[in-house]
Amino acid sequence: MSTLAVVVTLVTIVLAALLALLMIPVLVWLERRVCGLIQDRLGPNRTNVFGFRFGGVVQSFADVIKLVFKEEYYPAHIGKGRWLFMLAPMITFAAALLAFMVIPFADDLVLSGERMKIQALPVEYGILWYLAIGSVGIIGMIFGGWMSHNKYSLLGALRAASQMISYELALGLGIISMILTYGTIDFNAMVQWQSGTVLGFLPAWGVLVQPLAAIITIVALFVETNRAPFSVAEGESEIVAGFFTEFTAMKFAMYFMGEYVAMNTASAVIITMFFGGYQLPWLSTEALTTHFSVVAWAIVVLLPPAVWLFIRWMRKNNTVRPTVSTDWGRHFETKVLTYVLIGMAVIIDLILIYISLLPEGATATTIAVTLLQIAIFVAKLMAFNIFFIIVRWTLPRFRYDQVQWLGWRYLLPLSLLNIFITAIVVVGVAS
Amino acid sequence: MTNRIKTVPRYGTAAKERLYLPAIFEGLKITAKHLFVNVGDINSVETLEYPEEQPTDITPRYRGLHRLTHREDGSIRCVACFMCATACPAQCIHIVATERTDGIDEKMPAHFSIDTLECIFCGYCVEACPCDAIRMDTGIFSVTGKNREDFVLQKEQLLAHKSAFGEDTSRA
Repeated sequence: MSTLAVVVTLVTIVLAALLALLMIPVLVWLERRVCGLIQDRLGPNRTNVFGFRFGGVVQSFADVIKLVFKEEYYPAHIGKGRWLFMLAPMITFAAALLAFMVIPFADDLVLSGERMKIQALPVEYGILWYLAIGSVGIIGMIFGGWMSHNKYSLLGALRAASQMISYELALGLGIISMILTYGTIDFNAMVQWQSGTVLGFLPAWGVLVQPLAAIITIVALFVETNRAPFSVAEGESEIVAGFFTEFTAMKFAMYFMGEYVAMNTASAVIITMFFGGYQLPWLSTEALTTHFSVVAWAIVVLLPPAVWLFIRWMRKNNTVRPTVSTDWGRHFETKVLTYVLIGMAVIIDLILIYISLLPEGATATTIAVTLLQIAIFVAKLMAFNIFFIIVRWTLPRFRYDQVQWLGWRYLLPLSLLNIFITAIVVVGVAS
Repeated sequence: MTNRIKTVPRYGTAAKERLYLPAIFEGLKITAKHLFVNVGDINSVETLEYPEEQPTDITPRYRGLHRLTHREDGSIRCVACFMCATACPAQCIHIVATERTDGIDEKMPAHFSIDTLECIFCGYCVEACPCDAIRMDTGIFSVTGKNREDFVLQKEQLLAHKSAFGEDTSRA
């Protein structure tokens, strides 16, 4: 392995860790703000550092600091099982985090003849890794619920486990039909397959090629992440808080953060398998590299209006009503952020203009394409996370028997049917 | 009785409803509309920025913090009859009566305290008072203090509270 490969691998690992870990506070904040705005409330919007609120995202960091310094409490009756009680949230969190590591953030980077995967774990069996590690998380939930010696915790853990078993089947079968379609178990190859077109004009995204498998897999992934409408495992109206009833402070926070990492991972898997991953529609990596100057000029032209729109939105909304006596320095924050945004837009524009003037196939172009794909990936990831959040605050929770009914009576037969149809079509196309 | 039976139609059996997805998208449309309208204009959200922005919709019938009323000559109206303390379901009114020597009336409270930590703001004391001596029309809805004693309002504090809606009538 050359120095270059080591550097790229390290950068990718840091990027993956940042994307998974830094996304937690952002998602917790987004959850609370989006929920508030959906219900015509404001949500947390005041916590600030020197007057910089960033819409209130600082609140999440304050919450984490509070949880870290909170008293560690263990119920007296757990006895010798304390180590397992402590380990349980870590298993859930670690599993969710590890499952994220096989998602490709960009196409293979070719630098001086070396092909490097932009993937924290550069493996070719990404989907198997996800299925294997992603379902380890449930073990942490079962341990947590079981070790608590508490009826509610045990019920929550049992619900989580049974729910996982019922939907793992549908999820696996849905993914198998996608594997049949793509003919690969490598996430990156799946994304490359999706850069083509179907019927001549539609981008060959999984959701357009296999709509049924997409619906089944997305529903099953909602269950996998234990989120509404399938959050019966922590149904607070019946079983207090489910499997983490007895957990406090950072142990609770581990479960809590694990849920958000799992949601982030599920979003990443969905966009990688069904929404073209890091690809722009109709633009494969080769097309992007060859015609990068066109794309660069398009961004150069489109970036200033986008930034202008954002600044206008910020100047309108980073204010308070005239009836409020103080604005907590929001005017100053808006001013500073306006200058920062304009400066960033100018720098990005200058870099893009410079790159577009370079000869074709330059190293800078290759790196720029990779960075662009990472940006697209993050944008899609955020969009899907917000979709997850909106769904949570739209739908009421399914009753427990309805969850099982949906899993076994609808999704399982549908996914089997889908596999047969897919297999017939794939064999028909091949022969 | 038979003509009063109302048959409620059962929903959820049609094929479109059993698919779940159309209904889910309909719901998503509604919540997303709320989200985007509010993101586009955050100040259209009705939430009060509370400590800086005070509520403006407190009506004369609102049961705020108590006050003891005065007579025309400015002395206390209360005659220490213990009606309010008897009516109080939370038993938070404590009165010590004393003889009134200035000839205006026969009795007055030496001490009159309301423990606002116990008080449930039901307004029964105002209802019970035969002299219109206690009212809850101050419009004060927030009591703060650093220890428990701060929340026990004494006679002097209760007398010092002003009505938010004029002295004329008791509406509570």
